[in-house]
Amino acid sequence: MKKIDIGDGAAIPSPDDKQLLSAWWIAFVGTIALLIALPIYDPDTYGAVLAFIPDGIQVTFEVTILSIALALIIGLITGLGRISENRIFNLLASLYVEVVRGIPLLVQLFYIYFALGRIVQVPDIVAAVIAMSFCYGAYMGEVFRAGIMSIDFGQSEAALAQGFNKAQTMRYVILPQAWRTILPPVGNEFIALLKDTSLVSILAVADILRRGREYAASSFDYFETYTIIALVYLLITLILSKLLAHMEQRLNYYEKR
Amino acid sequence: MKNVDPIIAIHNVTKYYDRFRALNNVSLDIFPGEKVVVLGPSGSGKSTLLRTINQLETIDSGTIIVDEHNLGDPGEDIHKIRMNMGMVFQSFNLYRHKTVLENLTLAPIKLRKMHPDEAKSLAMVLLEKVGISDKAASYPAMLSGGQQQRVAIARALAMEPKIMLFDEPTSALDPEMIGEVLEVMVKLAQEGMTMIVVTHEMGFAREVADKIIFMDGGEIIESETPERFFENPSQERTIKFLEQIL
Amino acid sequence: MVKKILLLLLLLVAMVPSAYAQRTILFATDATWPPMEFVDNNKQVVGYSIDFLKAAAKEAGFKVEFKNTAWDGIFSGLLTGKYDAICSSVSITKKRQKKMDFSEPYFEVRQALVVAKDSNYTRLVDLKGKKVGAQIGTTGYFTIKKADGAIAKSYDEVGLAMEDLKVGRIDAVICDDPVAANFAMIKYHNDLKISAIVKTDKTEYYGFPVVKGNHEVLDLINKGIVAVKTKGIAKKLKEKWIGK
Repeated sequence: MKKIDIGDGAAIPSPDDKQLLSAWWIAFVGTIALLIALPIYDPDTYGAVLAFIPDGIQVTFEVTILSIALALIIGLITGLGRISENRIFNLLASLYVEVVRGIPLLVQLFYIYFALGRIVQVPDIVAAVIAMSFCYGAYMGEVFRAGIMSIDFGQSEAALAQGFNKAQTMRYVILPQAWRTILPPVGNEFIALLKDTSLVSILAVADILRRGREYAASSFDYFETYTIIALVYLLITLILSKLLAHMEQRLNYYEKR
Repeated sequence: MKNVDPIIAIHNVTKYYDRFRALNNVSLDIFPGEKVVVLGPSGSGKSTLLRTINQLETIDSGTIIVDEHNLGDPGEDIHKIRMNMGMVFQSFNLYRHKTVLENLTLAPIKLRKMHPDEAKSLAMVLLEKVGISDKAASYPAMLSGGQQQRVAIARALAMEPKIMLFDEPTSALDPEMIGEVLEVMVKLAQEGMTMIVVTHEMGFAREVADKIIFMDGGEIIESETPERFFENPSQERTIKFLEQIL
Repeated sequence: MVKKILLLLLLLVAMVPSAYAQRTILFATDATWPPMEFVDNNKQVVGYSIDFLKAAAKEAGFKVEFKNTAWDGIFSGLLTGKYDAICSSVSITKKRQKKMDFSEPYFEVRQALVVAKDSNYTRLVDLKGKKVGAQIGTTGYFTIKKADGAIAKSYDEVGLAMEDLKVGRIDAVICDDPVAANFAMIKYHNDLKISAIVKTDKTEYYGFPVVKGNHEVLDLINKGIVAVKTKGIAKKLKEKWIGK
């Protein structure tokens, strides 16, 4: 199996790596233990933060899931554009990737959020989702491109020789296989995106981080607040990475002997 | 046999890879039911010639007419023409994410709009024929090379083609598996299928071929019956090739 | 090596006398709060609070330096000793007084309700179920949180809240009245207006917070504040930055 290497490091524990697996368990159990113990130890600070942020967690999830869904669609189109023989389609996709990759996410967030505000009136969460997925769509596009290109050309030839056209070949033969190669980097992007949603707190979207900052701003319990926030993010990404590792394993079904 | 029209008519075909001339003014007629074996050293253009017939390779000049369809005619739908030609590759190229059975039924269901049940029963008949029906639910990665290639032949047959193209079907196989694949091909030949086979298997060529094409340097050097080709080669390059191989 | 050390010592000696002569107090300021403290076109931190403090420093004989700091976290910076005091339109509240010491008040402030020009909201109760924005951790924000039914939205900077109000993502903004006036009457005078002053139980004043127990700095600042007030400098500054 060809591996494609995109993303900001292996967030997904490999199923064969026992060492990493145990590291995951230590982190997971430790995080949960702290999230239970700290509020008991000091309900007025740790406990109060934890009670303050649940709607922020919901917002973070909403932004993450909507953004990843949209980014996957944009990414698929962009990835297909990047390998397309249609010059204009190819150029547009490449241009998009170039532009997005050249601008820091935070700047894009600000830009799209406020630019969008001048054109159409959309709720802040929608604006945040559009901004996030616009950025991540470009990275997803590269993941899709690499994933599609990692599939042996013989697979395409076999399908074409049977009489499938290019679109059918992509749909029935290449993409179903590319998924398997694409999933690990997509999973990494997914987790990276979840973490990056903390940037939308700048846009006054009431996610985990903003809720925490609001709490800290009135209570001055900065240390306690950010301890809880860090633990909550960690717990979410740990669970996600485990789920993704599980999915990855299941997608491998047809390569096992 | 030659009083009918050829099913494949190749005329003055030339093809370049950049500046390298892979095919040089090649002409060849193949008639229905004919078994043509293409021989030649590697790089002689024999695989390229085979692949131009279903347009996996485009040509730079000349014409190829398959079953009365001119491949160079922009009005022709190459995908439809390809449906009537089965192709077997050196590296099998089975759909890795599909079971053996699904490999056989995918194209008939999607392209021929065959009912899935019908496609399945046809597939089972074909798997029976290539002797691998017990592996219907397996994935390609679980099969040996020989088994995979037999599935690949069955997959091509599932579209009920008029012509079968074989591109070095045994070259990637371990020696002990070559026999089982050739056996299937011989059986197919006996049933009257039109076959074009690029191979290095001289025994198969001698046994099955109606006509041997010998290629070198992108040209057809000789086009003979097996008897005359093997017993009485006329061209110097043919003699050299046979000396090396036999 | 010896030469380098000597040079370093020389430099230190050269620097010490000036530092010794006049105490320099480092103030953090979130310069996004026009006209009280903001960055002008020359990239200088200016405004009423800034001028007030400079005048106070002159009167009391200390030097001021400003460090532009994001509002969110400005207090944690003080608590962890990153600077001596804060000059950033900090309203004196009970909760804040528990964590730090405040100087004498230097400005009386009220909370203003800013809305779109064509809107009819004049009271907080009108904004039930509506989104009302304010800068995070400001008295304006706490006012919304206390109000019944309005949805509080916190922003890193009040300007971002004003921008969202202008494009219609939120229905009102609550902030200190001089700032509200600055946005509603100058910057966005075509789109926004001050519709009301929010009534609160107590009069609200700005002060300069210092680390709890830092009497040295506090005394210097208070000495300056008293002088600026009694000499009528405060009044002049008010005319300069805020008008009538």
